[in-house]
Amino acid sequence: MIASFRQVWQIARLTFLEAVRQRFFNFLILLALALIASAGYFRQLDFRDQSQELRFIADFGLGGIVFFGSILSVVATAQLFFSEIENRTALTMLAKPVRRWSFIAGKLLGVALLMLVFVGVLTTLLGFLLWHREQQLIAIYHDAFIKGNWLNEYPDAQRVRFVGLAVDALLQWLKFDVLAAITMLVASFSNTNLYTVVVSFFIFLICQLQYIAYDSWQKISFPALRGLVWLLSKFFPNFQLFAVGEFLVFPAKVAVPHSAILAAVGYGALYVVVFATLAVSSFRSREI
Amino acid sequence: MAVPAIRITNLTKDFRLGLRGIRLRAVDNLSFEVADNHVFGLLGPNGSGKSTTMKVILGLLEPTLGQCEIFGLRSNSVEARRLVGYLPESPYFYRFLTGRELVDYYASICSVPRAERPKRVADVIDLVGLTAAADRRVGTYSKGMLQRIGLAQAIVHDPRLVILDEPTAGVDPIGSEAISELIIELKRRGKTVLLCSHLLAQVEGVCDDLAILNQGHLVASGSVTDLLRRQGQSNLVVENFPIAAREEIEAVLARHGAKLRHIDEARVALDRLFLEKIGPTAGKPKDPS
Repeated sequence: MIASFRQVWQIARLTFLEAVRQRFFNFLILLALALIASAGYFRQLDFRDQSQELRFIADFGLGGIVFFGSILSVVATAQLFFSEIENRTALTMLAKPVRRWSFIAGKLLGVALLMLVFVGVLTTLLGFLLWHREQQLIAIYHDAFIKGNWLNEYPDAQRVRFVGLAVDALLQWLKFDVLAAITMLVASFSNTNLYTVVVSFFIFLICQLQYIAYDSWQKISFPALRGLVWLLSKFFPNFQLFAVGEFLVFPAKVAVPHSAILAAVGYGALYVVVFATLAVSSFRSREI
Repeated sequence: MAVPAIRITNLTKDFRLGLRGIRLRAVDNLSFEVADNHVFGLLGPNGSGKSTTMKVILGLLEPTLGQCEIFGLRSNSVEARRLVGYLPESPYFYRFLTGRELVDYYASICSVPRAERPKRVADVIDLVGLTAAADRRVGTYSKGMLQRIGLAQAIVHDPRLVILDEPTAGVDPIGSEAISELIIELKRRGKTVLLCSHLLAQVEGVCDDLAILNQGHLVASGSVTDLLRRQGQSNLVVENFPIAAREEIEAVLARHGAKLRHIDEARVALDRLFLEKIGPTAGKPKDPS
């Protein structure tokens, strides 16, 4: 068993190395960095007052992380899986004393490491931008800030909670891991990279809009249909549960309870395990 | 009785094609054994079922019927795969790794102890003659070098059975000769080698036994010597043969109830001539400088 975990780590390490050498990853991370960095240059926009700026930078940055991270987790997982199949390195690997679950787990862990680096780099940049602008704003509103009545004077102004930003990064990383596991499940039975990417993005959309299915389920009276919609709403994870970045970074008005964050972490981890297990099960019967 | 390296019994493999699941039988009721410490050639035209048989031996495909054992273990078990090293046809490896890193990676995957790994990796790289290029990226390797680094990764965990799928495909005669010598060296070290090749001269030169497949059926198997022998016929190799002596020889043979079939000029094989002409520099890697 220890040997299998060691193999998982070796496969993950090589998958990560292969991923960071890909032009696609480097291009995407540069694009995302540029987008987040550009958020600081939108001061000319007509904000109601300057206190709204931080919220705008945070929304813009968090949106960029979600957008590019979703693309990366789907495309990188499909690409890294099919490069092994098409180049027949999977043949060499699976002819060795490697269990198929170790192969899938190694690939997924490699993608998870990639997403960790992606989320880590972008969140660090976003955090720095927020901190830098916050310091400038504190200097501008120095008098009110020193007197402690700045929230009375500027009721919409809020300070950035950097711990909340880090917690949001963790939640987004977990969401990308769920998406990677879904993509791995699709890849385990599909024949082409393109099919895997298209189907995975389709599932991603379903997961983003899953709350609609949940709302429908509550309104349906016909038992069989109600059961089917309920089942579907449980099979596809609800990605809206991870969309709490704004409340984590600016918690003054709506604070997210710790129990809800822990529940979201457990929810994400459970779906990663379920989809990874389904991927292993499907890959076991695949003829290489 | 010694356990054979490979025992295939009544192996049948069907593939389902298309949405309608049309059945394609790739291998039909195949049975043969490969004895331990023998070099065994698996021959057949394209589509004869060689690759399917090889994948079943490697545990990459499940048989539809029948079974396959490696040294008495089910071929699809991890324990069996510990005993097997595999070089795929036209191998492709992670281009960003150096040769040494690549072999080390596969050694770690095969659970070669960390302390033993550097020496084991260096030894197999030396065995395949790639020491000078070991620290170059695999992406810069020629086809022959890729085959040799492929062979190194196949034997780094010291397997008892080495399976080579077209090890000389696209390789020049010098590289091909080097691989033949490696196969003979592996046998000398006590390994069993299963060789799948279209290069019949190579199979003839290095194999002890062979099996020929056609359309999924076994059409011939046995030792190379037995299969290639023409019953009741012998060759005489004569230096400075005088044509005038032919009639006398025929008369002598007739007295003993034998008959001279034909006289040919002795010829050297083309690959042998090529290697002789290329000379002692054959197969030597270029100086990187």
